[in-house]
Amino acid sequence: MKKIAFVGIGVAIGFVAALGVLPAAHGANDMSAYRQLDLFSDAFERVRANYVRPVEDSELINAAIEGMVSNLDPHSSYMDAKAFADMQIQTKGSFGGIGIEVTMENGLVKIITPIDNTPGSKAGLKAGDYIAAINGVSVQGLNLNDAIDKMRGPAGSKITLTIVRTGDKATAKKPFDVTLTRAVVAVDEVRWHREGDVGYIRMPGFNENTASGLETAIRDLKHQIGPGLKGYVLDLRNNPGGLLDQAVQVSDDLLTSGEVVSTRGRHPDDTQRYDAHPGDVTDGKPVIVLINAGTASASEIVAGALQDHHRATILGMTSFGKGSVQTIIPLSEGGGALRLTTARYYTPSGHSIQAQGIVPDVMVAAGDEGDIPKIARPSEADLPGHLAGEPVVKKANQTVIRPPANAPKTGADGKPYDFQLQYALQLLRGKVAALPAGMVN
Amino acid sequence: MNRFFLLLVGALAGFGLAVAASHFAYGAIGPRYATEQQLGRFGEAFQLVRENYLQKPEDKNLVENAIGGMLTNLDAHSSYFDPQTYAAMQTKAAGAYGGIGLVVTVKDGTAKIVEPIADTPASRAGLRKDDVLVAIDGVAMRNRTLDDVSSRMRGTVGTAVALTVARGADKPFDLKLVREVIEVERLTWHREGDVGYIKIVAFSDRTDPDLRIAVAALKRQIGPSLKGFVIDLRDNGGGVLQAAIDVSDDFLDTGEIVSVRGREPDAIERYDAHYGDVSGGKPIVLLINGGTASASEIVAGALQDHHRATILGTLSFGKGSVQSIMPLDNGAGGALHITTARYYTPAGRSIQVTGIVPDVVVSGGPGAPEYQREVELPHHLLAEGPPARPLAAAIEPAAGRSYDDFQLATALAFLHKTLAVRGKSPDHA
Repeated sequence: MKKIAFVGIGVAIGFVAALGVLPAAHGANDMSAYRQLDLFSDAFERVRANYVRPVEDSELINAAIEGMVSNLDPHSSYMDAKAFADMQIQTKGSFGGIGIEVTMENGLVKIITPIDNTPGSKAGLKAGDYIAAINGVSVQGLNLNDAIDKMRGPAGSKITLTIVRTGDKATAKKPFDVTLTRAVVAVDEVRWHREGDVGYIRMPGFNENTASGLETAIRDLKHQIGPGLKGYVLDLRNNPGGLLDQAVQVSDDLLTSGEVVSTRGRHPDDTQRYDAHPGDVTDGKPVIVLINAGTASASEIVAGALQDHHRATILGMTSFGKGSVQTIIPLSEGGGALRLTTARYYTPSGHSIQAQGIVPDVMVAAGDEGDIPKIARPSEADLPGHLAGEPVVKKANQTVIRPPANAPKTGADGKPYDFQLQYALQLLRGKVAALPAGMVN
Repeated sequence: MNRFFLLLVGALAGFGLAVAASHFAYGAIGPRYATEQQLGRFGEAFQLVRENYLQKPEDKNLVENAIGGMLTNLDAHSSYFDPQTYAAMQTKAAGAYGGIGLVVTVKDGTAKIVEPIADTPASRAGLRKDDVLVAIDGVAMRNRTLDDVSSRMRGTVGTAVALTVARGADKPFDLKLVREVIEVERLTWHREGDVGYIKIVAFSDRTDPDLRIAVAALKRQIGPSLKGFVIDLRDNGGGVLQAAIDVSDDFLDTGEIVSVRGREPDAIERYDAHYGDVSGGKPIVLLINGGTASASEIVAGALQDHHRATILGTLSFGKGSVQSIMPLDNGAGGALHITTARYYTPAGRSIQVTGIVPDVVVSGGPGAPEYQREVELPHHLLAEGPPARPLAAAIEPAAGRSYDDFQLATALAFLHKTLAVRGKSPDHA
């Protein structure tokens, strides 16, 4: 990698130096690489000279690198300079926005929850509100990511949302406008509250602040609940992952020894093992981890480690199954970065979760799985070009516990009724006794 | 490419030589410098992938995917033929290149069967109109372009292709078809009473001679009462440019047929008509729809601008670009298939995106497929020039009446002057 740093200084050296670092030991192999690069530069020159309109060199090269990398597997990609800069903001965990978690419903953006102490919650936006327009422009036809992009912007800038609130009779069906000033919002921040004698901790992603967020949450919950504390629910549902080291640290917070995860790359000596250190921030209280089909990657590392060490009961539905590790490899200055699959990871018992996922100890459905078309919630095994899973011993089919037909639509707090959470709380309180066979507790 | 060869040799011999060579070739500064930097960025990325990816990648695959990515990002019709595909295309003429006999369309991201061609693997396997192609060889076909879907079905004769097909609300099923040489009738014809009907399925080297034979035969069959011709270009996705020019010339005496303009202002090729009209100047109605593209739109545009035919049907596809195939390394490196020019009708219109607006807008009737048009393709080349004139409201079949082919029935009525069309009489043609 050091040699690569030379690239970019040079005249045509850019190209040549990259070739210069080809391993000297494999002569024939190198000739193939040179031939292939020659073929590429031939194609590049012909397009430059003959395409129907002039195209920027950088545009051609960006598309070429993207084509090369994204065909490797569904998680490898190329970030151009701008996307790379955006990503650095994301993993630092903050951006200018209004602080609401949203989803898409009936072509409108629906607020799942406003995040505490953000412009969204201060302006009185509520869970269940629909956003019909952003700055006067209808959200119809936008996909969720486009809508989110439009709501983000520099801190201090203004944004007007047109809100439809259906729950409340006075304003029902009559949209109203709310103008908010964007602020720096911490994304994927760990949130927590007490559920009676249980500490509930929601982890929406893994960024640089996640492990310290968990530690703060547990200190605060211990203090709030006191000696009657029964245990914790760690909610990793719809958590798409993030930074590996944070997943390791979160697992280590609850484990006192043994392996957390190992990553294995192309060469046998690439194997890295991450071990737990003494100390359990919960003092050994029972933990239930909630997972679902949206639980992926770093979240699966945590669930897998806690499951293999019998440290937590995993409750919910089978997770996504992304068992590969991507490394961000920046190109020379201003060249963007590769996001490249470089390793697979394995749980402490040696299982790869690639395309298999974490199978919960207690299968509990949220109840709305059937409403979501399969295509909208693919798992790794559905992605074209996914890395094949390695054979594992599949757990015996378990009975899936489903919400009763008479389950309420909303809970006591006005939020949608959360059957998986309620089941977890009952389990911690010892109120559900009939556990499926083979359950670890 | 000699200069790169020099550079590569230089790289093997040592940096000093490489730098010297590059100075010699381009000088140290200037636009070429920026280009070399960009190539350097690619070389760097290539090397990083080779060294760090989870599994050791094939250099060849990396570069083929890079070239593919570079080309498909240009526009909806540019693509890369890898060496195997290109070789298979070369043998197409020798009959070793096959398919399964499906005509498909892509609408709203879904690949649907328009028709299975009779006596082909597709029709023998019982595939039907409106079946959805969910996957080909295990690759999901959602949000793919028509070119992509079609090219995955084609391949060497005797090889198998696995399809996952959804029919109605039933559970999708899998089937495996073995590719055969698909003999498509390029041109069919018959008499419709006193009108000659000619359907051109696609434009190939045989189209013009076949058309002349058809016109002569229809004239002989129908005799002096011949009212005119209906030339059906519906669902004709194009083909060989020269065939479109020859077909247009068959009905025109003089003037321009089409001009093809490349990137440089002087890169204009004009194609002109020659004296003689094989139909003897009889009225012509051209049928078009959303599947009428490219070479077909050249014919429709030329005959429309010269007022030689009445264009009847629905708005055409809108593909106003020309692609060239450029083999790399004499074909050993596959071939580039890139857009190198746009074409313009005699009146100087580009039909890119705008399409050919029919003179008489007639709906395809109930059950007519919906077409994905150029404007819906990701990365399509943008339209040029003024917008096309607005599309008039379509003539629809009268309630309660059903037609085998409403557009054809309307075309025949038009030629018989039994159709009143907004002040336009068939004499116009």
